[in-house]
Amino acid sequence: MAHDWQPDFEQLVDEHQSMVFSLALRMTGDRGLAEEIAQDVFLELDRHLGKIESAAHACFWLRRVAINRSTDALRRRKVHGLHLQVEMEEHHGVKSEERASPLSARLEQLLATLPEAQRTALVLRYQEDLTPEEIAAMLDAPVATVKSNLHRGLKLLRAKAANNLQEYVRQKEYARGV
Amino acid sequence: MDEFEQELRQAFARHPAPPDLKRKLMERRRAPDPRARAFPWQRIAAVILLSAVFSGAAAWHKRDEQHKGEAARQQVLTALRITNHALNQMNSQLAAHGHAQK
Repeated sequence: MAHDWQPDFEQLVDEHQSMVFSLALRMTGDRGLAEEIAQDVFLELDRHLGKIESAAHACFWLRRVAINRSTDALRRRKVHGLHLQVEMEEHHGVKSEERASPLSARLEQLLATLPEAQRTALVLRYQEDLTPEEIAAMLDAPVATVKSNLHRGLKLLRAKAANNLQEYVRQKEYARGV
Repeated sequence: MDEFEQELRQAFARHPAPPDLKRKLMERRRAPDPRARAFPWQRIAAVILLSAVFSGAAAWHKRDEQHKGEAARQQVLTALRITNHALNQMNSQLAAHGHAQK
């Protein structure tokens, strides 16, 4: 089907490189690997540019391929859960503590300890601000599965945060006036 | 969205891409794809390998069939020899019996 949208590759890179890199980084926990994945994703976009119908389609396509390539890379390296946390601490070029609040940095580390499906759902929900329906469409998964992964991931992350982040608990208690 | 989810949203803000990502990407885009260069050689190697495998299998099959045919021929010849021998014996016995009656 013919479409009027004329894609500009460089403009797409400018607009979406942060998104693609961040998705790959949060999924793999390895800055170098994330950069490599981001480049591969954009080169694949370049090869498929003729099939992209709109700016929204390009964004959807980039998110989906970034997630798929990241999970492929993780499976090739057999990095899961806790190992990823170690990788995150070892390979992040910029220490996450240096660029964000300690709480944010710790939450990001705790994210790395979650199972892959839950991590994917949470990253798409809270990094990309997607609804469960949009995440389901992106992952070709039932909405109920995505909602379950979000619910379980959030519950697990909350429990880990409560156990690990004393500062967070103190802040919450302070906010509640305990 | 509760306070924890708000905190997550802040914690999961997008990271800035490395400053040289675009430059490296454009260099890779301009460079010929090494997979494209490797492809004809891989295809030729695969064709040669497959041809060798199929030729070997066909030769082995032909040789096996020849062996089986030869074995069957030898069995038929042996059976004919035994039959011939039995008939000769029977003829000799019949001839001996005829002489005895005379």
